[in-house]
Amino acid sequence: MAHLSLRNLSKRYDNNPPVIENLNLDIHDGEFMVFVGPSGCGKSTLMRMIAGLEEISAGELHIGGELANDTPPAERGVAMVFQSYALYPHMTVGENMGFALKLAGKSKQEVAQAVGRAAEILQISHLLERKPKALSGGQRQRVAIGRAIVRKPKVFLFDEPLSNLDASLRVQMRIELSKLHKELGTTMIYVTHDQVEAMTLGDRIAVFNQGRMEQLGAPLELYERPANQFVAGFLGSPKMNFVPCQLKDASSSEITLSVAGDNRLVLPSSHTIAARGDITLGVRPEHLHIVPLEQGFRARVDLLEHLGDAEIVYLELAGSEQPIAIKLPSGGHGLKQGDLVGLRPDAARAVLFGKQGQAIRLQ
Amino acid sequence: MKAKLNPAYLSAYAIVLGGAVIMLMPFWFMFVFATHSDTDILSVPPPMWFGDAFLDNMRLLLGRLPYFWHNLGMSFYVAIATTVLNLFFCSLAGYAFAMFEFKYKEYLFAGVLSTMLLPAFLGMIPSVLIMTGLGWMNEPRALIVPAACGAMGVFMMRQFIGSAIPKELLEAARIDGCGEFGIYWRIVVPLITPAFGTLGLITFIGAWNNFMGPLVIMNDMQMYTVPLALRSLSGTGQVPWGAISAGSAVAVLPLLVLFVITSRRLIEGLTAGAVKA
Repeated sequence: MAHLSLRNLSKRYDNNPPVIENLNLDIHDGEFMVFVGPSGCGKSTLMRMIAGLEEISAGELHIGGELANDTPPAERGVAMVFQSYALYPHMTVGENMGFALKLAGKSKQEVAQAVGRAAEILQISHLLERKPKALSGGQRQRVAIGRAIVRKPKVFLFDEPLSNLDASLRVQMRIELSKLHKELGTTMIYVTHDQVEAMTLGDRIAVFNQGRMEQLGAPLELYERPANQFVAGFLGSPKMNFVPCQLKDASSSEITLSVAGDNRLVLPSSHTIAARGDITLGVRPEHLHIVPLEQGFRARVDLLEHLGDAEIVYLELAGSEQPIAIKLPSGGHGLKQGDLVGLRPDAARAVLFGKQGQAIRLQ
Repeated sequence: MKAKLNPAYLSAYAIVLGGAVIMLMPFWFMFVFATHSDTDILSVPPPMWFGDAFLDNMRLLLGRLPYFWHNLGMSFYVAIATTVLNLFFCSLAGYAFAMFEFKYKEYLFAGVLSTMLLPAFLGMIPSVLIMTGLGWMNEPRALIVPAACGAMGVFMMRQFIGSAIPKELLEAARIDGCGEFGIYWRIVVPLITPAFGTLGLITFIGAWNNFMGPLVIMNDMQMYTVPLALRSLSGTGQVPWGAISAGSAVAVLPLLVLFVITSRRLIEGLTAGAVKA
């Protein structure tokens, strides 16, 4: 186990703009840290810098208290699970898993014992003599994880390890990874663009965008109190609804907004808001309610998506042509395409964003 | 798929068959003539089927070429050494060009490829001068060392390694504790055996059939390779066609065996990377 400390870390290729810029981050001993963000945001590059597969352009990386900037990958005490599994095709599963120990000069018996233990944890003991091409995607992923476990690393690095699996297997592997983390208690860093994986696996999540860390925090903290519009929009499915509005009045206990024309919305507030004029109201789909027409904002039902346990209703807000998504329990609401309804946001859970997209604290 | 017996198909088949017969005929006559006396060979029409004079021809051959078995051994030695060195150096260079990023990589690779544009004969005189300077004349290493790494092999290996080996494998090995040569030896080499089969066969055939190299390098008959030794027969009075054919048949046999063993790999190697697996 190890604590990781990233200080002013930067990565730049030649004279191009930095891929990672002045990143500061502490990853605690035994923590499950998730790096999440859209493609090209720099999360995988950061993981590769930690693994030693990419040079660090500037800044310091400490693993277990030791400066690791120039330490070769094999000596950093990290093990990495790749998206493509990266199993050696000419070796059996057992040989794949024991390769690192063999290179480290361990005896055949030690290697066999370590491989056997890891195989037992992952329930792949019966596959040890097979070659990777004779395995299914899920089995290959287990072998790749097993290869990492065998090394007893201080830090596990997972680079989008579930992306190549089908939906049901992904859920199963997600649960198993979570259990594995509890069982091993080792520091784990997990890169994904899938916000469900991020929310369910991470002790903390770091959201990346264009080489910057937008926010760092516990999954629910990020979900409920996003630091900015990017984080708010990235986490949650369907994504948070953003409605342009005007801040009309603000006191120390409440603020009044004008939403989509003449609609008035009063939000409770315990702060004095400095912002004025055009701002953005953010409301998650599950925090919007259907009410009688005269009691809420007017909206027309555009489309219904049936998910089985829930329904996503897409509406068009009158006066703004703004598409809005609401998540409702399945059935019973009787809505159909073209209906005019009233919409009322849960005022206590709404979020306001300033002109630059930064969240405005209300509570 | 069921064959279509229409005229276009049949005529295409006939053309291919005709081409195959024309290409196989020299081989056929070489084996047939190896079993006939010179009188039979020069008769009209020439013999089309095997005779019983093979041992006589071999006796004649060994009488005119007392070092024939030594020449055959020399051919094997030069061809095997050239092939092994080629596989090693070409795969190392191909691996570097395919997997590493370094300054002036593209220029270096273009430089390597440009050597393919020069006719081999152009290098003959400088090569002899260098070998003379090194004191290697009349020694097999003068044939082996200059041929130890060829542009074609480097190009072929670079293409194969680039298409067949994902970079993640090398990174996984690096994290597992493999050094750079260890990655090449333990990960890359086992995965490029089809390309080794192809390049090995091409190099072996090239070295085995090399005539000009030994002609300018080797002075003693004892140091001749088989093509050079057989050629020396035709310059001494009456040409012993039966003995030359017998010697050629013996010389070509190892290539045929090698081809039969590696032909599947040769085709695999030549088409590798052409389509996504």
